[in-house]
Amino acid sequence: MAKILAIAEHRNGKLTDASLELCKAAKEIASAMGAEPAAAVMGKDDSIAKEVAKYIPTVFSVADAALEVYTSDGYTQAIKAVVDAQDVKGVIVAHSYDGVDYAAKVAMAIDAGIVSNCNKARVEGGAVIFTRNTYNGKIQEEKKVNTDKFVVTFEKGAYDMEAAGGAGAVSSVSASISNVRTKSKGIIETMAGAVDISQAKVIVSGGRGCKDADKYKDVIVSLAQKLGGEYAGSRPVIDSGWTDAARQVGQSGKTVAPDLYIAAGISGAIQHVAGMKGSKCIVAINKDPEAPIFNIATYGIVGDLFEVIPAMKEKL
Amino acid sequence: MKIAVCLKQVPDMESKFKIVDDKKIDESQIAFKINDFDNYAVEAALQLKEKFGGEVVIVTCGPDRAAKDIRQAFAMGADWGIHVMDPEVEAGDNFVVASTLQKAIESIGDVELVLTGVQAEDDQAAVTGVIMADLMKWPHCTNVKKLEVNGTALTVNRELEGGLNEVIEMSAPAVLTLQSGINEPRYPTLPGIMKAKKKRLDVKKAADIGATAKSKTDFIKMFFPVSEHKAEIIEGDAATAAAKLVEKLKNEAKVI
Repeated sequence: MAKILAIAEHRNGKLTDASLELCKAAKEIASAMGAEPAAAVMGKDDSIAKEVAKYIPTVFSVADAALEVYTSDGYTQAIKAVVDAQDVKGVIVAHSYDGVDYAAKVAMAIDAGIVSNCNKARVEGGAVIFTRNTYNGKIQEEKKVNTDKFVVTFEKGAYDMEAAGGAGAVSSVSASISNVRTKSKGIIETMAGAVDISQAKVIVSGGRGCKDADKYKDVIVSLAQKLGGEYAGSRPVIDSGWTDAARQVGQSGKTVAPDLYIAAGISGAIQHVAGMKGSKCIVAINKDPEAPIFNIATYGIVGDLFEVIPAMKEKL
Repeated sequence: MKIAVCLKQVPDMESKFKIVDDKKIDESQIAFKINDFDNYAVEAALQLKEKFGGEVVIVTCGPDRAAKDIRQAFAMGADWGIHVMDPEVEAGDNFVVASTLQKAIESIGDVELVLTGVQAEDDQAAVTGVIMADLMKWPHCTNVKKLEVNGTALTVNRELEGGLNEVIEMSAPAVLTLQSGINEPRYPTLPGIMKAKKKRLDVKKAADIGATAKSKTDFIKMFFPVSEHKAEIIEGDAATAAAKLVEKLKNEAKVI
């Protein structure tokens, strides 16, 4: 039977949460297509593959010393070996840092179209139709491949994590991994500063709309201090050096879940939302009424943060 | 070092978007600009040129309006450019664009490094650079946060989740897709803007550079997302709305 293949990822010997979401995605898509869900796991041995077998009935393990550390060349050759050995109709990859690095290369290797950064899939007339975010989340579009096979990447949270419980079968697929052209020299921590904003009950976070470092300090930092909380920022604030990297909230920064998260001048890109959507109460202040942040906020004020925040401070 | 920078012109994301016939956005109300991520690539290329000499060539696929932003990169200091202006390419998917960029770069000759943004702000696909590298048979690295060049030896930091970076060694020629924050892109100077007007910009059709790729994906439709959880919008002028918000945070949500 044709297979829908989820690619499980791991870091430091630990399976990622996104991999469990992909197991769920593979099962749902396979079931709608009359295909069989499966997973492929690359590693130095089959220990992670055995772990993945708790979540999906069929697991292909590609074990090779060259696959101990992720490389796009290694992963592509290994995944191609599985696709060549099995009747694989679709390959499902996480839109993670690693996934972005190899998914399109896998698509090229197996001569498939790729639809990336998707949040939904449905099957219509045998074809899988994918929904994805465009224009910073303001518009969604539907796409499908016109090739025999497809490669898709799903954004974090597109599917719920599959629960453990099954006892799937692990079979090994051999691949000769050669000519790996990137060499990993190790992983380093880049967050300067000792502050841990993830423990704060109240976080006031600023975005691009704060304009400059002085204004960020005037509005965001001062409101945070008045509320006895921590200040933070979305990616542009850290890229511009208005505050230090340890205060970045989002996929590439910290994940936080305070009682109150105030997002001021933050549009609400998925990468930012991934780091704060678990907050109990979210306040969005933005002059753009269509900013996606209003879709996840509890309370919203459509207005100029430089007028709204000083007015809030007067009432506190 | 001869460096090609792939640059895309995108809408300003704060524009008011309108969808026409479920198919495309109404461009009449849209301001266009350089894709933010590609702006970092222009800056990174200019810094390498300042250090090692060489040439920075801008390569763009896009309609007539894109020329404005190629000239913007010229004003920052890029030397010349290729503008592939072809409706067939514009209607194509990421694979078509990557294939066309690859052919354009091949036509330059002796390019040692291709830099571009990790993704475009409009389609958010993050695949074009990787496909291009594969077509060139060059290695690549995505989400690059730091870049050091020593002859053909490249040392790059690849951004990972949660503030981690992976340090990677590889060799040029290569394609690197840059993450925002890798540098501080310069603003064009007035003399730069004057010089930019006279710089060479070759306008090509896909056929001129031998680009013939066909899309591997089909676009179906676009629509505005329907939110399941829309914020309670607090109305009124700034002072009124702020007062109501503080009241709600204290007495309704009970979080302050």
